[in-house]
Order: sequence, then structure tokens, then C-alpha cells
Amino acid sequence: MARACIRFLRNGEPVTLTDVPPMQTLLDYLRLTQRKTGTKEGCNEGDCGACTVALGSIRNGALVYEPVNACIQLMGQLDGKEIITVEDLDGNHPVQTALVKHHASQCGFCTPGFVMSLFTLHEKAAKQTRAGVNEYLAGNLCRCTGYRPIVDAALEALNTPPAPRDAAALAALQDAQDIFIGDDESFIASPASLDSLAEIYESFPDATLVAGATDVGLWITKQMRTLPRLIFLNRVRELQALHDGPDGLEIGAGVTYEQAEEAFSALHPDMARLLWRIGSKQVRASGTIGGNIANGSPIGDTPPALIALGATIELRKGSHTRRLKLEDFFIAYGKQDRQPGEFVSRIFVPKINAKASFHAYKISKRFDQDISAVCGAFHFAADGPRIAFGGMAATPKRARKTEAALAQGLEAALAALAEDFTPLSDMRASAEYRLETARALLKKALMERDGLALTQTRVLAAREVVL
Amino acid sequence: MPLDAKPGMDFKVIGTRPVRPDGIDKVTGRARFGADFNMPGQLTGRVLRSPHAHARVKSIDVSQALKLQGVKAVVTRDDFNADAVDPALMDVLVNVMARDKVLYEGHAVAAVAAVDAPTARQALKLIKVDYEILPHVTDVEEAMKPSAPVLHADMFTDGVEPRPTKASNIASRVEFGHGDVEAGFQQADVIVEREFRTEAAHQGYIEPHAVVASMGADGYAEMWCCTQGHFMVRNISAHLNGVDVSKLRVTASEIGGGFGGKTTVFLEPVALALSRKANRPVKLVMTRDEVFRASGPTSSSYVKVKIGAKKDGTITGAYAELAYQGGAFRGSPVDMGAMCTYACYDLKNVQVVGYDVVVNRPKQAAYRAPGAPQAAFGVESVIDELAQKLGMDPIDLRLKNAARDGTKSSYGPTFGPNGLIQTLEAAKNHPNYKVKLGPHQGRGVAVGFWFNFGGQTAVSMNVNIDGSIALAVGTPDIGGSRASMGLMAAEELGIAYDKVRTIVADTASLGFNDVTEGSRVTFSSGLATVQAARDAIKKMCGRAAQMWGIPEDAVEWKDGHAHPAGANAGNFPPMSLADIAKDAGNTGGPIAGHCEVNAEGAGISFATHLVDVEVDPQTGRTQVLRYTVIQDAGKAIHPTYVEGQYQGGAAQGVGWALNEEYIYGKDGRLQNAGFLDYRIPVCSDLPMIDTVIIEVPNPGHPYGVRGVGETGIVPPLGAVGNAVSHACGHRMTVVPMSPPRSLKAIKG
Ligand SMILES: Cc1cc2nc3c(=O)[nH]c(=O)nc-3n(C[C@H](O)[C@H](O)[C@H](O)COP(=O)(O)OP(=O)(O)OC[C@H]3O[C@@H](n4cnc5c(N)ncnc54)[C@H](O)[C@@H]3O)c2cc1C
Ligand code: FES
Ligand code: FES
Repeated sequence: MARACIRFLRNGEPVTLTDVPPMQTLLDYLRLTQRKTGTKEGCNEGDCGACTVALGSIRNGALVYEPVNACIQLMGQLDGKEIITVEDLDGNHPVQTALVKHHASQCGFCTPGFVMSLFTLHEKAAKQTRAGVNEYLAGNLCRCTGYRPIVDAALEALNTPPAPRDAAALAALQDAQDIFIGDDESFIASPASLDSLAEIYESFPDATLVAGATDVGLWITKQMRTLPRLIFLNRVRELQALHDGPDGLEIGAGVTYEQAEEAFSALHPDMARLLWRIGSKQVRASGTIGGNIANGSPIGDTPPALIALGATIELRKGSHTRRLKLEDFFIAYGKQDRQPGEFVSRIFVPKINAKASFHAYKISKRFDQDISAVCGAFHFAADGPRIAFGGMAATPKRARKTEAALAQGLEAALAALAEDFTPLSDMRASAEYRLETARALLKKALMERDGLALTQTRVLAAREVVL
Repeated sequence: MPLDAKPGMDFKVIGTRPVRPDGIDKVTGRARFGADFNMPGQLTGRVLRSPHAHARVKSIDVSQALKLQGVKAVVTRDDFNADAVDPALMDVLVNVMARDKVLYEGHAVAAVAAVDAPTARQALKLIKVDYEILPHVTDVEEAMKPSAPVLHADMFTDGVEPRPTKASNIASRVEFGHGDVEAGFQQADVIVEREFRTEAAHQGYIEPHAVVASMGADGYAEMWCCTQGHFMVRNISAHLNGVDVSKLRVTASEIGGGFGGKTTVFLEPVALALSRKANRPVKLVMTRDEVFRASGPTSSSYVKVKIGAKKDGTITGAYAELAYQGGAFRGSPVDMGAMCTYACYDLKNVQVVGYDVVVNRPKQAAYRAPGAPQAAFGVESVIDELAQKLGMDPIDLRLKNAARDGTKSSYGPTFGPNGLIQTLEAAKNHPNYKVKLGPHQGRGVAVGFWFNFGGQTAVSMNVNIDGSIALAVGTPDIGGSRASMGLMAAEELGIAYDKVRTIVADTASLGFNDVTEGSRVTFSSGLATVQAARDAIKKMCGRAAQMWGIPEDAVEWKDGHAHPAGANAGNFPPMSLADIAKDAGNTGGPIAGHCEVNAEGAGISFATHLVDVEVDPQTGRTQVLRYTVIQDAGKAIHPTYVEGQYQGGAAQGVGWALNEEYIYGKDGRLQNAGFLDYRIPVCSDLPMIDTVIIEVPNPGHPYGVRGVGETGIVPPLGAVGNAVSHACGHRMTVVPMSPPRSLKAIKG
């Protein structure tokens, strides 16, 4: 029997909702339904962080808090979670005290979001550098202060340890029951197992799958699309699994960027760095590797790297499972090799050979919280190079001609890039800029492979050169 | 009462850094901003906006929308009586609701009020607008060409003799200067001439525009909104709707940033019209997309600069030509830009010509020192290049030509005491000017100027029974001004800061106040606060005199107490403010101080900025390594908030210099109407900005205050431009210096 409600904790207090409009966002729930206006709406599309709230989850038995953008967090994602908003803190939380003391609000509209981002950082009870704080706060825009007082306040607040918290209440909300609220026309489904997911998606192949909602949320809030049937993936046990085996990584499609970062850093530091540059902390806490693949975007950051690493994906429809090379998944712009009712269940990333080298770079106008103009990944393996780019074609794509030309030397390979790709000009970058930086990346990767002149190439420059 | 700035004055409260009245509210979510206010029975409004950059509106059919269940009102151009509107406000009316034409993508054509947002959105889809699409132009230089599509058939360039007979997009020509520039160039040993271009930037306040309006059947109305000037909102909204000004009461909410962008109306008159029609409160909130497309960004510009100097660095002639687009209506800040162009320099021969141009873009709104940064980008770049050519230190070259006390400015007035020289000297001696630079790094210097405004101001100060003070000001507090008013009141009254509560009063409670703009608030409301305190003190001295039975002029006020003073005053123990307040009921009734003033004497303000950058030679991406703001504050009332203004201005300037820009497609539509693609700086884009406060008192303010809010955004475009130019070995002439542009510069 499916459960017809969602349950979550609101600052420790249990809440059960039986009537949940499928497309309702957490921000609308807070501001419109609950009339809790402390959490702000600055953009309603995941960019400004004014709506940041802390989302508590049980992971490996422990309670962890992550910052998320309430504006693109759907209510269906909240089952089994705890929500803490700025209004739940009493005004004397070390983060609040420090922000007041350092006069870190000028207009103060951004402040609730900063309070909650910093609350989650404070809960980690880890020492932080100024650069670390900068990185943590990249998803919170402040237009007034230039950030200095905010960072000063953060560093001071982190000297006070967090209050102990009890995971029991939240642990008690974790269950293995499927959730279904609504009827065939309009519903929220949140299956708890892969089989349940496969079954319901096969019955409703036109329903929308929601993983982290960092895309789907925007379809609702920005594109104003009507999505009456939503199937949420974040409670599907198998999709959250991350297995580091001898042959490689097995990543459940529902694993978030944040969770994947650590596993990937063992695989290769460049991969972890790439993940670290996707969106902001808030986006990385919600967005998933599966979503990044399944949305088929030509500028998604993980596909080029995964293609270069030789990743394969597992797709499932009903009881049928198949495996596919990731590069074959992307057919054309907006078109992937995925049947109605079929979903991505796992990603397999082989370990790279000890003699091989791997390099991945993201080029965007700004370092954090920006969409790639070009994303390049290079895998120099014993059986030949594997090179893939994002932002250079209508899909994430392998540079096969360039790979072949490498045997004839650098100049040939640089020339071949123009045969592999005819990139577009758009507001992020011109076609020339894309081609030019793609070439610079190839050169950089080769130099790095050969252990040459690293200091002269700095496309992965530090966020902050001077502290 | 004399306004006596006393240099070296011994302050007790001023210059301290207490927590502001709204300090805690801002970290707990208790502070209520524009969209946080709700009324019973409130409807949700939405605005229908033009998808076209330029089109004739042939007809608007709202009948289907009105039939939709839950729709309570629809308004269009027909709901505003243009004939009754003051010609000076006609453009404001046309901007809030299009009439015969839509002039930019995002121009409002209709608005609905419905029971909820989905219904309102659905209603918008049911409104049928018949457009006749017209050719458009969004670029300022294109718009000036004779072949360009003309936006307004009745626009004949002002300021040109004889008046043109052909309509054009050039609304006006302005000119400032003195001497003979051509003769000046003849004397020069070196001349640098260059053209510059800047793209439009948006103020980027994080809080979107929001308003709740409620008009009753009796025609009396209330409004709650986030604005820099609720008196302005009241006057305009009432007028456009044909309502008596006194029948509309406007309360300013906490405001989530404005930077000039909230000095005008967009939604407010429309919300009032909807509420009147629906007979229910109506809330209108812009989406972020609407903020970008339909509120006012700043002007994009074309700037030509020519400066000549002798070998010793003396500038002999300076010329500039500016063309700023103001969006679809006249009124770009080119006049202010032209006045500021050479304000930092003491020049014998100077001429600046400016053109106000209209294009199919949203009506520009003020943005921090409106008009000044674009011109300063050109001038400061050319000065830097001159310094290179002359082999001079860029600060020395500026010191040689800097405006001083007594300089006749290029726009007319003769400057009084000011701190430009001190900021330059402080820059030269700053440790950040001495750090050694590495490869691909560059250092930039630039100076900047802003006038600072005064203007109409009214405050009211009530002395309460327990000796605490309720201070009502009429200027919305954006960056901590309530704290500054409280500090000035406490200083003048001689009491503790925490005995004063400062609030922003609604429009029914005070006389008219000009908008919070032009860096006027700490100056004007501060001046008025001091005067109101003196008024209250005079009354309290009178009460003390009455209680002691001595003449009023035998009482003086010192350290929060009335003291008998003079030969025949008698020997009474001092009476505290609280003592006098307690007995007010028996000595003549409530005690209050007032001031209604048109504040004059806002002191000009100068700044020098230093910046070091590193440019990645492979991607063209620029990282700011260090940034130093040195600015004259006159007197820093609350130094932290002064530093906050310095840092904020610099941060916005850095964003504009390096990355922020409005990107239009060939179709005349904005392509990056969101914070992900219109990317303002985040934490990791900025260094920890250093500040130095210089204090050269402004003789026009009792404590010497000068406005500090705007000057900080004037130098960054030039300072960053100079730094990037040195790092790349190529003169940068286009803002923003985004990675693709810088890479092009590096590759030549
Ligand atoms: C502020 C912001 C910044 C961003 N920055 C970046 C960035 O730097 N780099 C980048 O690559 N992206 C970025 N994105 C885009 C976004 O984060 C990614 O595309 C993300 O990977 C989507 O994952 P998700 O889990 O949120 O997917 P969702 O939004 O939940 O879903 C995305 C799509 O995939 C489908 N889907 C999800 N899971 C599956 C599955 N298992 N099987 C089949 N279909 C599935 C959904 O139905 C939907 O069509 C950003 C987004 C925002 C809002
Ligand atoms: S409101 Fe901007 S991120 Fe949510
Ligand atoms: S204080 Fe205004 S946006 Fe941060």
C-alpha cells in the first residue's frame, strides 16, 4: 500500500501533508501557504540564494544539513527530510550574532539566505579558510556589501562549535514505503525502490521524472510549464547507491554532485574539481549525475568528462535493463536514446589505467556559478586518446578526428578540432572563442600529460589568488 | 540656527559603530520587504508585456480574460486618462502602460488581478493584442544614424540651433566647458585620442519590485511598496490615476537594494488602478525576468575622449563626446555624465558634448552616480595612457592636474574644500600601491567624482515621556541610514544612541521628502535631524526656564542637560532631558522638534581607486587580486556603513567592468534576463576590498558630512580597465572586459 502523504520535520517538529499540489515549490509553501516570509524570493530560478534553507537528511545514519534553494525545491522532494529556515533560528545563533556584529547586512535582503548557507557550514564543525568560505557562498548573491563583512562574520561564527543534534526524529521518518498522492491525472509519486519506479514510470510514461529539480524546478518557475504528474527519484534506494569497486565506480543516477565529489576525487582530481565548479553549493546539493546526463544538455558539465573516461550507463524500462556507452546516448540536440518509460538507473565509470592520464577543464566567464562556454575532457590511455567536449556541438561529443590526428602531432590535432566541431556563437561565447579555448585546452592537457610548464597554463586558476 | 561644521570637533557618539535598528530583524527574517506584506482579500496581479522591441498596438481585446473564473480586474491604456496627465509625467505614464506603441521588449500592455497567480497567468494568455511590428534599434550608435528607425515622430533634438526639422532618436544635445580646446591641443606635446564603449548594466538589487495597493470604495487608498522614495510613489501614482495626493498613503517597506533603480515607478500606479477596479487589495511582484526586461538598467554608451598635455604633465586641452541611450524615452543621464567627465581635473581648456539618445530598450533608471562611470572610463583610460606616454606615475599625473579648493569646474561651479588631493596622496602611500606584480598582472588607478544631492527633506522628532526619542524620517533606509540619523540625534541631544528609535514614516505622517538618491540621505535627513534636535533643544530649554522661572536665553544645553547659564541665571542643578520630558504635560504639552528644509550645500565627493588584476592569457579571464577604495566622506557618521558604501560601489563597478552586460539579439530581445546569465559578482569574484576614509569636512553640513553612496562606482571601470590593459599589453576600450574580449585583446 502506498502512503498518501509526505512527512518531514520542520525544525524538529513533524509535519504531515496529504494535499500537495504536484508543482508546489518549498518556497511557495513557506511564503504563500505558511505565510512565513522570512525566506526571500530574489529570482525564483536557483541563481541568487535568497531563498536558501537548510535541508537535513539522514546519510549513513548521520544527520547532515545542506543548503538548498527553496524556490526550485519541490514539495515532493521533502519526504523524510528536515527543513530549517531563517525563522527557526532564534536570533542568537552564532552565525546570526556574527553577521549582526560585522554589519554584514546592508539592505539585508540577501541575509536570510546567507544565514542559512552559513548555518549548514557551521553544522559541519570544520575549520575553514577564507577561500573555503568564498566557495561555500558562491550560490548566495549580495549586491550591496562586496561580501567582505559577510566572510568576516562567517569566519568568526565558525569558531563556535555547533549545538549537538539528535538524528532520531528524522531517522524515524525514513521508511521503504512508496508514496502516491493524487489521481491518475495529477499526482506526486515517490517510489522507494527501483522496481516500484520502473512499474509506475511504465504505467505513466508521460509523467515527469524529478531527481534534483535543478532543471525541472525551472520548467515550473521560469518556463511556467504545467507538469501534473511527477515521479520523484530521491527516495529510490538503489538510485542513491555509490559503489567504488575494483573496476570502477558504479553511481546510482540519483547521486548528487555533492555526494559524487568525494568518490570522483579518488578517481581523478580533475573530475572532482569539475564537479566542484558546477553551479553552487545549493545546486550541487540537489542536482544529480543522472539528471545531468538525462537532460541531454549540450552544456552539461559531467557528460564530456564521463565520455572521455569511457563511462557506460544502464537504462531500465519495466523489467528490461540495457547498457549503453554514454557517448551513444546523445543522438542529437534534445534527442537521446531513451524510450518512453525508460530511465537512467546507473552510471559505470571505469578506473583509469595507472599509466593513463586524465584532464578536465571548464571554461566559463566566471569561476563559480556559471554555465560552461566550453568544457573539455582528455583521457590519454594506452589504447589511444579519448577526447570529448561540451559546448562545442549540439550534444556532448567526442572529438574523434582530433583523437586520430594526434598521432600526427599537435598541429594536426589542433587543425582537426575545427573538423570535429563547428560551434555556435551565443551570448556565452562566440564560435571563435569556443574554438580557440578548445585548442588552448587541448594544448594544456598535452602539456600536463607530459609534465611540462604547468605554471604557464592557468585555466584552472585558483579562485582567489591573494588571501 | 547656524550650521557650523567644526573641524576637529569632539564627537561623543558620531564615529562609533553601533548595531543598527534593523540589525537583528535582518538576520531573523523578521524584516518585512516589499513582497512580504499581505492584506486580507488580496488579489494577485500580473502584467502582460510586449514580446516585440517596437510595434504599434492596434488593438487590445481583454474580453476573454475577463470571462475567466477568478479574474477580478483587467487594466490597459484605456484605464489611464492621458489628457489629464502633466506633460512632465507623460513618459512615466507611457512607460508603466504602453499607449499607441510598445517601445521595447517587456513594455507593459495590460495587467490583471485575479484570485491567485495561476489564474492571473492564464488570464494574460487570454488577452489578445494585435501588434503591427515596426523596425527597431537597440544600439546607441545605430540609433543616431539618419537611417535608423525613429521611435518618436515628435522628437526633434533639443539644444541644437537651428532646431532640426526632421525627427530623430537624438533627444537633446548638451555642452559644458570653458576656454579654447583647440588652442589647448596646439600647446600640447602629447595628445591621446580614443573611443570607448560600455554596455548597459543593471542595478541588480536582489529584491524584485513589489507593491500592495488597496483602494476602498470611498476612494481612499493605502500602498505598501519597496521604493527609494515613497513620497514620489504617492505623488505619481495618485496623479496618474487622477486621485488626490492626500487620499493615497504610502508606506515604504524595508528595501532590498535599489542603487537608483527604485527611484521611479513601474508597478505602483498599475496596482492602484487594478485595486480601484477590483475593489480589493492587489499585490504585484515582478519576476526576475521582468526586473531585467522591464525595469531600468543604466545607459549603454559611446564615449570619445581627447586629451593633450605638456611634457611635464600639465593638461592643456581636454575634449569629450558622449552618447548615452536612455532606453525608449528621453532622459539618459548624459547631462550628468558630461558634467562629471572632467570634474576631477583643474583645466583651462575643456569641452564636453553629450547626446541623449533613445533606442528600443527599457527606460533607463538611475544607477549609482548615474552617467559618471561611463565617462570616467574613457577619461581615466586616456589619462593612464598619457602617463604611459609621458613616462609619469599615473598618480603623479593626476596630482599635477587635480581639482582643488577653488578650482573652476568644467561644468561651471567653483569647488569648495574637497579631498581629491588627499585621496591621491593616500593612494600613493598605500601599501597596496607598492606590492610587486607578477607575470600577466597589471595595476590600475582611477579617480572619480560625484556631485551629491540635497533636496526636500522633512523630519520629526518626538521627545517621549521617559526621555527616549522617536525620530521619524521620510527617506527609505537602504544601507543603515536609520543608524546614522540616530547617531546624529544622540550626538546633538547629548544622549545615548540606544535612546533614539529612528523609523521611516509613511507619507501621511511627514512633509514631502525627496527620494533616497544622489547620496543625499545622511547629508539631508542628517542635516534636518540635527536641526530638528536643535528645535527640540530650544523647546526643552524653554521648559527648563519656565520651571526654574528664569528667562529662556539664560538656559543652555550641554551633554543632554539644560543648564542655567549667564550671570543672573541662578544656581539650579542641571536638568536632564528625561526630567524635562517627564514633566512636559505640566509645562506646555508634548515636546517635539521639526525640520522642513530644502537642503543645500551637499559637498562634492572624490575618490581614488587602486586595483591589481591578473589576466589568464589562455582564456582571457580576469581575476581581481587587490582592490582599494580611498574616498572623502567629509565626516563618517557610522564608519562601517561608509566603508560598506565604498565596498559596495567598487564591487558593482568591478562586476560592470568585467562581466555584466545586457545582450540583445537581432530580434531586439534581451538574451540574458536572469542572474545566471547576467552574472553579478559572487564572493569568489572579489578580493576583500580595502577602504580608506578621508575626512575633509563639508562646510554645508553641521557635522561636515558629504554623501558617500555613489562616488564609489565611478572609478572602477577606468581602474580595472587600466589594470587589464597593463596586464594584457593592450588598451581596453570596451566594457565589460569579459574573457572573450580580453582574449581578443591579448591575441591582438
Ligand atoms: C543555478 C544553477 C546553476 C547550474 N549550473 C550548472 C553547471 O555549472 N553545470 C551543469 O552541468 N549544470 C548546471 N545547472 C543545470 C543542472 O544542475 C543540471 O542539468 C542537473 O544535472 C540536473 O540534475 P537534476 O537532478 O537537478 O535534474 P532534474 O531537474 O530533476 O531533471 C533533469 C531532467 O532529467 C530527467 N531525469 C532526471 N533523472 C533522470 C533519470 N534517472 N532517468 C531519466 N531521466 C531523468 C528529468 O525528467 C528532466 O528531464 C545549473 C542549474 C542551476 C539552477
Ligand atoms: S529565489 Fe533566487 S535562488 Fe531561489
Ligand atoms: S545586503 Fe543587500 S543584497 Fe546583500
